[in-house]
Amino acid sequence: MAEPFYRANVLVCGGTGCTASDSLEVIAGMNKEIARRGLEKEVRVVPTGCRGFCAMGPIMVIYPEGIFYCQVQPRDVQTIVEETLVKGRVVGRLTYKAPETYKELPRYQDIPFYSKQVRITLRNCGIIDPEKIDEYIVRGGYEGLSKALFDLTQEEVIQEVKQSGLRGRGGAGFSTGTKWEFTFRAPGDVKYVVCNADEGDPGAFMDRSLLEGDPHSLIEGMTICGYAIGAKEGYIYCRAEYPLAIKRLQVAIAQAEEYGLLGDNILNTDFSFHLHIKEGAGAFVCGEETALLASIEGRRGEPRPRPPFPAASGLWGKPTNLNNVKSYANIPQIIVNGSNWFNNIGTRRSPGTAIFALTGKVNNTGLVEVPMGITLGEIIFDIGGGIPKDKRFKAVQTGGPLGGCIPAQHLNVGVDFDSLQEVGAVMGSGGMIVVDEDTCMVEFSKFFLKFAQAESCGKCIPCRVGGKRMLEILTRISEGEGRLEDLDTIRTIAKGMETGSLCALGQLTPGPVMSALKYFESEFLTHILDQECPAGACKALVRARCTNACPAQVDVPSYISLIAQGKYAEGLEIHRERNPFALVCGRVCPAFCEQKCRRGDIDDPVSIRLAKRHMADHEMENPWTPAKIEDPKKEKVAVVGAGPAGLTAALRLAQRGYPVTIFDKLPVAGGMMAVGIPEYRLPRQILNLEIEAIKRAGVEIRLGQEMGKDFTVDGLMDKDGYKAVILAIGAHKGRKMGIPGEDLPGVYQGVEFLKNAALGKAPDLKGKSVAVVGGGAVAIDAARTGLRLGAKKVHILYRRTLQDMPAWKEEIEEAFREGIQFHFLTNPVGILGPDQVSGVECHLQRLGEFDSGGRRRPIPIEATEFEVPEFILDAEIFIAAIGQETDLEGLQKDTKIEVERDSTLKVSPNLMTSRTGVFAAGDVTLGPATVVEAVDQGNKVAVAVASYLKGQPLERVKFESPVGEVPQLYALEDYAEAKRPVVRRLSAARSVTCFEEVEAGFDEHTAREECKRCLRCDLEWLQSMGLQSQEMKVQSA
Amino acid sequence: MDKVVNIRINGRHIRARAGQTVMEAAKAAGIDIPSLCHHPAVKPIGACRICVVEIERQRGLQTACTFPVTEGMRVETESPKVVEERKFILEMLFSEGNHYCPFCESSGDCELQALAYRYGLDHWIYPNPGESKPMDGTREYFIMDHNRCILCRRCIRACSELAANNTLGVKFRGAKTVICADGGLPFGSSSCVSCGTCLQICPTGALIDRVSAYAGRESQVERTKSVCLFCSVGCGSEIITRAGRILRVEGEWEEHNNGVLCAKGRFQPFKEERLRIESPLVRKDGRLQPASWEEALDTLAQAIRKSPNKKVGAWTTCRTLNLTLSEFVAVFMGKVGANIGVLELTLARFKLPMGGALNDLLSADTILVTGADPLVDHPVIGYHIKRACMNGGRLIIVSDNHNSMKRFAAQTFPLNEMGKAVKMCQESAMPVVLYGEETPPDQAEKLVALQKKAHFIPLFPESNGFHAKALGLRANFSPGQMETVYLLLEDTTLSEEKIKQARGAKFLAVHATFHSPLTEVADVVLPALLWYEHEGSLYNLEGKKVAVRQAVSLAEGLIPENEVLTQLAARL
Repeated sequence: MAEPFYRANVLVCGGTGCTASDSLEVIAGMNKEIARRGLEKEVRVVPTGCRGFCAMGPIMVIYPEGIFYCQVQPRDVQTIVEETLVKGRVVGRLTYKAPETYKELPRYQDIPFYSKQVRITLRNCGIIDPEKIDEYIVRGGYEGLSKALFDLTQEEVIQEVKQSGLRGRGGAGFSTGTKWEFTFRAPGDVKYVVCNADEGDPGAFMDRSLLEGDPHSLIEGMTICGYAIGAKEGYIYCRAEYPLAIKRLQVAIAQAEEYGLLGDNILNTDFSFHLHIKEGAGAFVCGEETALLASIEGRRGEPRPRPPFPAASGLWGKPTNLNNVKSYANIPQIIVNGSNWFNNIGTRRSPGTAIFALTGKVNNTGLVEVPMGITLGEIIFDIGGGIPKDKRFKAVQTGGPLGGCIPAQHLNVGVDFDSLQEVGAVMGSGGMIVVDEDTCMVEFSKFFLKFAQAESCGKCIPCRVGGKRMLEILTRISEGEGRLEDLDTIRTIAKGMETGSLCALGQLTPGPVMSALKYFESEFLTHILDQECPAGACKALVRARCTNACPAQVDVPSYISLIAQGKYAEGLEIHRERNPFALVCGRVCPAFCEQKCRRGDIDDPVSIRLAKRHMADHEMENPWTPAKIEDPKKEKVAVVGAGPAGLTAALRLAQRGYPVTIFDKLPVAGGMMAVGIPEYRLPRQILNLEIEAIKRAGVEIRLGQEMGKDFTVDGLMDKDGYKAVILAIGAHKGRKMGIPGEDLPGVYQGVEFLKNAALGKAPDLKGKSVAVVGGGAVAIDAARTGLRLGAKKVHILYRRTLQDMPAWKEEIEEAFREGIQFHFLTNPVGILGPDQVSGVECHLQRLGEFDSGGRRRPIPIEATEFEVPEFILDAEIFIAAIGQETDLEGLQKDTKIEVERDSTLKVSPNLMTSRTGVFAAGDVTLGPATVVEAVDQGNKVAVAVASYLKGQPLERVKFESPVGEVPQLYALEDYAEAKRPVVRRLSAARSVTCFEEVEAGFDEHTAREECKRCLRCDLEWLQSMGLQSQEMKVQSA
Repeated sequence: MDKVVNIRINGRHIRARAGQTVMEAAKAAGIDIPSLCHHPAVKPIGACRICVVEIERQRGLQTACTFPVTEGMRVETESPKVVEERKFILEMLFSEGNHYCPFCESSGDCELQALAYRYGLDHWIYPNPGESKPMDGTREYFIMDHNRCILCRRCIRACSELAANNTLGVKFRGAKTVICADGGLPFGSSSCVSCGTCLQICPTGALIDRVSAYAGRESQVERTKSVCLFCSVGCGSEIITRAGRILRVEGEWEEHNNGVLCAKGRFQPFKEERLRIESPLVRKDGRLQPASWEEALDTLAQAIRKSPNKKVGAWTTCRTLNLTLSEFVAVFMGKVGANIGVLELTLARFKLPMGGALNDLLSADTILVTGADPLVDHPVIGYHIKRACMNGGRLIIVSDNHNSMKRFAAQTFPLNEMGKAVKMCQESAMPVVLYGEETPPDQAEKLVALQKKAHFIPLFPESNGFHAKALGLRANFSPGQMETVYLLLEDTTLSEEKIKQARGAKFLAVHATFHSPLTEVADVVLPALLWYEHEGSLYNLEGKKVAVRQAVSLAEGLIPENEVLTQLAARL
């Protein structure tokens, strides 16, 4: 029966994903609308299988133009028919938008999600109507079967499959052709073909898509297999949870039988082949071949030891060939196009394509088919569109719950059976779950383990007991009850399970845990040693994500609630328990708390930093005097360096009654706060208010005292009677670039330049052109300072891209606003002279492979006939801001203090250096870091020094998480719609002319109202952990 | 002749049979590979992994109990890798349940404990489980403690493969897995028939015999290989005793019963509540009074002598051993010329072949059962038939009555359609016919047609029925017409009807193990032995002569029945 000729075909996805987002209503609506307009003879609506881009569903493609519409809703139907099908115009709002540029991409083939894909297995999915065998036949369907039956002997079919190099797509990767040969050679008259369609991995749905979108490819593949191995019957073992797949299979089998392509005497030959569908009851272990066969036979789905392999003794003891859906679906095309064609796709040892279900923290979730050998990075960043919300990529789990995680340093790994195994993961059935920085690897591996151990059939001991024991240990670790020996125990169990389990389920169960332990051991150790979850995910350890994210563990929700109530003094008291620099941090803190704020999951994070600034500013007229918390003592402590770490340490020791003296070589106190952060971000008098408060605690600050010249550590301890010394000397030495011309006049180090500017000794930049190199905070600060010092033009040269810049995003935006010119992917290779800086020779870069941090490494663009990727930037001043290290000159003679390779001081967990009595804190141990991280170190070193002076054992310094309970006096629902306020800033025109503070604070009303947006995770946590006080219970009742 | 393959185990050259597993080959060569889930009587499943070995060119470790030997194979059974894995498995097992040995009945006889010793597990590595699993004490004879269960599934396989009862299985998954009966019933309410095969095969203290628990360890007990006397199957058994006290009975793995016993043979004898006759009794002054053997035998001999030969009647149970039966015939027929017979039916009227073996059942394709209900009267035969049915054998029942095997039968015919059943047998390759006393003679005759083709197993009611029949003894009980009657009951009981008849005798001598209404009316009572006190032999229903061994020494004053008869003969 001939179909009429249609001028347009509207393909609407009818896969499970899109169906869940109302695609069936869209299809019905389209049909209705088309009928209403009398277009039935011109336009046809085709319900198809899955197109993979499930994140954007329901998906509609209109041919012949190939117009791609996404997230189509029933209400859009009229517009589409009117605009596109009648008037021939693209409906812009329904098209896919490029994520970076927001440019409309109306054509299917232009969408990056599809452009890197190669569709072989899924070639018909989303293209044909899976319930019409004619559409399959038109696309070349059943050609493979007829070729096999008429042109090839059984051996030739097997040979073709063998030579194609097709490896089992169920995950194990065994040669499909070899398997067929085994079954073919096995003695016996009755043989079976079995298809494993028991797709059990959470989140994996490629088999399902194939069954739903192109069932005939499986039927044809199995029939060819039946012919090749000499079987007359086949079983498709499909999970009962796939009702649509089962229905479409049934329809397809009936149609194939009707067409004589299945059943008795196929295509009038002697070959007969019958297919049955067996519904599985959803046991994960039934994906294991022997368990699957047991289940078909009606027994409990449990694996048995092999040998005998199913090829020799399978279903009901007969030789049986068992393959995955995708393996069979590849067969027809291999037969039609020949093994050489298949061989040329993918890699040599893993030919063909791989299908992945891309999910998790990635922009474009969905089903992707890619040639084997494509890198993980390409899948995640090019096809997947990277990580949402500018978060950092952390790891990707491949191979489902029995796979392994792969961290950023392996993003260049080519995806194929062998390469994935080398890095500790597996291909598995093709699950690919991307996680970002907010995922805790302990929790993540626990999640998979929980699944796998619950799905253990319970037959063999290593799997049944090992999984449970391991889960208990991991649970303990995630609850802060871990012990150091736990990690070894986990490894022992893993080894026992891997070598001793009966089937792959048990052997691979430790995979996720072991790979997480391999790449993220320090994260496990943090849970065990510090009872902290750095990612903020382990419930028992994380009272509130903001507090957890704060290096100084400030009790954010409590002081935020107190601000809401206008109780600033109480709020400050809580803040200062952990961080004495509320005024400073209210201005310059990168606000780790806000990055993890749970409100940010809903709309935008609470504006914690600015609220804090309001709280601190409120107190300015009434300055703080730190309280003494212990009796006076006589052991003197010397602190070298008056930066945030040194000042905090001195304050904490003074509060405990110790006489403390700070020595600093600069003429001002504050360290980087004074000479690193420019005044337009942190006015000096604001900083001084907090330094004065610390002095009021009894701390003596001696400025202009240079270590190694004016005093030595030996002198302090031996002559001057200091019982302990804290080295908090920071990281004030800029890193050299190592390019020609670096010694020319006009070349400065970023930190040095900022220091001079702060001390009023800046070089004359008036009317000059300045080139700053680097992407961090120092580079941005130097550039903006340069502008304020009168530079004509300021350029920032950065060898990577904007996304890769480590500087604080708001600072980068400000720099843009102030007119600083950014040159991304630009690498300075030489500073031009001759007598002083006259220009910078730059080489353009492109992004290459991923580096160990997960960022793409810039590599120089090669020169071509038409383009020389170099240019010269005119500049009279060159500022290098590519990193800092510790200036170790003052310590050079002190051989007792060991130094690490990166020029930080070697310290024990209690922050003591290798010299007894000498401690270190701040950038000198961390490398360049933030104020709040230095404060944390200051707190900790003070505790350690006090213990040392009291002769108490020096243990790893830990702080209990705060346990305050500030009641919530307003209804959260009232603030459900409230938006994060925007803070006022100086206009760019004015800001570049002076060092006035750019950012204005909040007014009182704004600050207090903003604080009410806080979701009070802390109270929820107390309640869920059963730690809520009686008083609070009464209040909330 | 099986093909021989050459393999190396631990460097030693070994000739193994093709088709053997590594475990079997090693065992045959005297190399001990530890096992837990494996038991030679049931099929290997490779579940516990304790038997893992290193096999050259095989990935990971392989289970010796399942891996077949191949030519040139090299196996290491105690390499460091293997030992490490075994220790791990043991540690896992000890972390899973309550394996705190001092409190366990099986301590000292536990395969798990023995392995822990062997591999030097000297401390707990993992904490004991917090939660405990329930115990099931709903069965009459033995208890299941899931906390001591290692889920080796020997019990399940014994239940399905040996007893063919399929009661046991597992439920739940992963660490929650437990052994269950009929999908989750209390064991006592399930289809369990209390054959106790699971109890016997359990490697740990998970299944506990109520009677013998805590009564003695393997090193403290004695084992006597004997034969069960409670029906004519004559199951091979071992009687376990400690210091003259009987603890329990176990089935003999190597015998035709494959280790299986039935509740009748394994447990019910321990439920004995009848009063034991401890010395001869003689009726004096109208009352039975203890007497010496001499006095009792003299009294009996006198009574016999006083009666005319034709008025002396002697009947014995078919449970007696060969020597006693022969002596009985020699004394009462040979010497006295009395009327003799047996108390139970002996299939004497059938002129059918005999000699079929239990093993024939397992390879039979058609099994015809007529005139008997094996599952009730000869349970182990019943289990064998069910095994055969599970493996594809076809059961045909010819009976007019209720038959507990009907639900396993492929075909059931009324007695008058015996011909149809015979025809089905004729059409099959390996038929076995089991016939019992209830088959009418005319129908039984039809079975003769099968005598060349089929194996015939006669289902005698009592243990030595075969020999009784061979001796020509018949169930011609007629004590009422006798003056002097001697009844050898041993531990059997007589029906009230028979007791009534026996009361008709002028002088009644009862030779029995227990007091009963019959002994109360006797003139002389002679104490007989209990089942585990006999020494001698009998013929089981296969016609095979088997040895019955005395498991405990006789209490003072007890004399075996054959000797009693000899002493009696001396007085006649």
